[in-house]
Amino acid sequence: MVLQDLGRRINSAVSDLTRSATLDEKAFDNMIKEICSALLEADVNVKLVGTLRKSIKQSVNFKELPAGVNKKRIIQKAVFDELVKLVDPHAEPFKPKKGRANVIMFVGLQGSGKTTTCTKLARWYQTRGFKACLVCADTFRAGAFDQLKQNATKAKIPYYGSLTQTDPVIVARDGVEKFKKERFEIIIVDTSGRHRQEQELFDEMVQIQGAVKPDQTIMVLDSSIGQQAEAQSKAFKASADFGAIIITKTDGNASGGGAISAVAATHTPIVFIGTGEHMLDLERFAPQAFISKLLGMGDMQGLVDH
Amino acid sequence: ISGLFRNVVGGKTLTKQDLDKALKGMEDHLLKKNVAREAAMRLCESVERELIGAKTGSFQSVDSIIRTGMESALRKILTPTSSLDLLREIQSVTSPSITSLQKPRPYVISIVGVNGVGKSTNLSKICFFLLQNKFRVLIAACDTFRSGAVEQLRVHARNLKELGEREGGYVELYEKGYGKDAANIAKDAVTFAAQSNFDVVLIDTAGRRHNDQRLMSSLEKFAKFAQPDKILMVGEALVGTDSVQQARNFNAAFGTGRALDGFIISKCDTVGDMVGTLVSMVHATGIPVLFLGTGQHYSDLRTLNVSWATNLLMS
Ligand SMILES: Nc1nc2c(ncn2[C@@H]2O[C@H](COP(=O)(O)OP(=O)(O)OP(=O)(O)O)[C@@H](O)[C@H]2O)c(=O)[nH]1
Ligand SMILES: Nc1nc2c(ncn2[C@@H]2O[C@H](COP(=O)(O)OP(=O)(O)OP(=O)(O)O)[C@@H](O)[C@H]2O)c(=O)[nH]1
Ligand SMILES: [Mg+2]
Ligand SMILES: [Mg+2]
Repeated sequence: MVLQDLGRRINSAVSDLTRSATLDEKAFDNMIKEICSALLEADVNVKLVGTLRKSIKQSVNFKELPAGVNKKRIIQKAVFDELVKLVDPHAEPFKPKKGRANVIMFVGLQGSGKTTTCTKLARWYQTRGFKACLVCADTFRAGAFDQLKQNATKAKIPYYGSLTQTDPVIVARDGVEKFKKERFEIIIVDTSGRHRQEQELFDEMVQIQGAVKPDQTIMVLDSSIGQQAEAQSKAFKASADFGAIIITKTDGNASGGGAISAVAATHTPIVFIGTGEHMLDLERFAPQAFISKLLGMGDMQGLVDH
Repeated sequence: ISGLFRNVVGGKTLTKQDLDKALKGMEDHLLKKNVAREAAMRLCESVERELIGAKTGSFQSVDSIIRTGMESALRKILTPTSSLDLLREIQSVTSPSITSLQKPRPYVISIVGVNGVGKSTNLSKICFFLLQNKFRVLIAACDTFRSGAVEQLRVHARNLKELGEREGGYVELYEKGYGKDAANIAKDAVTFAAQSNFDVVLIDTAGRRHNDQRLMSSLEKFAKFAQPDKILMVGEALVGTDSVQQARNFNAAFGTGRALDGFIISKCDTVGDMVGTLVSMVHATGIPVLFLGTGQHYSDLRTLNVSWATNLLMS
């Protein structure tokens, strides 16, 4: 699963160091090197790894560590803090309120899992007592509306789309208007996949956003994405100013470091992760709990004052 | 860059020490291009092996020697060792020479890969390419799982019918809805194609995680039933390190004696110069790249130009 392998490697690098008889600067440097290798193999952005290397070095400041302090604890805490910083931007995601319309718009690269995740999220809110529905504003991809329709039908969620209207801006606006009138509380708008290299596609996204005025825009990211994650997510952020990230396909083998880099690059929190192709395969995401579980640092909680 | 690529000028026998720092810089450079670390390290090692003990020419910097070495290493890994002339291969099956004693039959191509990489879209692009070459193509909808998968191909088949008939080709969709066994549908599609004089069968399959034992093992039966002439895997240019394991696991999924025949690297238009995935996948398997996907339209399919890729990777 995502980041598990990375966690194991980082954890063993830290404990190898802290267990070794001579905890000298060379051993410390080796630990940092091993952590950085692990991060690079997990697709964490190359520059970001460089920054992280410096930060750990600086915050531990090995040369100046006074004798008698618990080096082990200081090093563990520095590593832990840097990793939490990676996945926890300390930004509060939007929380939908009952009794009013909350419009949520999905954006992301082609094939990242938007349409599948839309229904998962609608279902998630539906089971928590919200009146939820779906709008298909993807008029480009072949079969996009059928896909959403079939998913929505299976999950018993009302949906809106058009087989004849080719302008996604109009479909999105009409759908949201209709559902607002019908007093739906969660209105999720699915859009086509797009990428930063095609300006027209980005303009279209901004127009859809202008038409539906979402309370929250969510970027969906595939957990296997590599070094393009940063540039793409920054571009989406600049155009659509999304306020949350959902990482999909975490049931795969990818380490998820690219997606994590997107979090760091855009200072935007991950709110859910997708864990499979089925309707119920969606989990809430909490960064700190995630990292401590990851690093097997149950005993770290006492060290960390969050 | 100059900080990383230390310059040593002229007439010196290169040692590991001379190369180390500049090679580390080169490795980082490849990582930034989205080459998986494992592949980047192996490439750097091969360049190092070539260069240790070599004598530098006068006014030659270590930096430029390593660049040249890496360029040729990349060329070497990306250049296929056998011919990739798909049209010729198809023709040799659909209209075999009299001396070969083979009976004519449809040529079968199946497309596999993980979820959402672009299998169905690039299958449609290949179909368009075949129609332009006046073939009769049957598309078999063997993704019986994902919602909308059949309708997606229906739309493509309809569009392509219009486009293709202008070009002198013919296309039809073979579909049996959802929930049924993909291997059986594939087999029936091939039989139907043989009866109805189709030249090529293009089989779409459901996306599957390469670490899902159950779904991966069903590929073996699929290959046995469909007997594809070519199994093409779609790998996505956006994918990072996972590309290596994706390629290995799919390559191993078809049972003994059957492997992948080629890659389609999709979404190349979304990564700029970070085209490292194609290096990673070829590194992992030694299997060549047959096509690149470069957009969402039917004509956005290219063959791999090794110089183009090498230049992007070295830029
Ligand atoms: N294994 C797994 N597959 C997933 C997950 N989420 C989505 N998928 C699969 O990924 C593929 C693409 O999903 P879609 O929802 O169609 O992606 P999309 O972003 O809407 O694609 P476009 O609209 O073409 O841009 C499908 O095969 C989904 O079943 C997940 O969490 N795990
Ligand atoms: N930019 C770009 N997008 C592509 C390319 N190839 C496919 N896509 C897009 O990627 C998305 C997914 O494509 P599909 O063909 O449905 O992918 P798939 O592998 O069949 O997906 P599943 O069957 O759900 O596993 C669609 O939005 C396509 O338009 C490409 O070369 N470039
Ligand atoms: Mg979609
Ligand atoms: Mg498909």
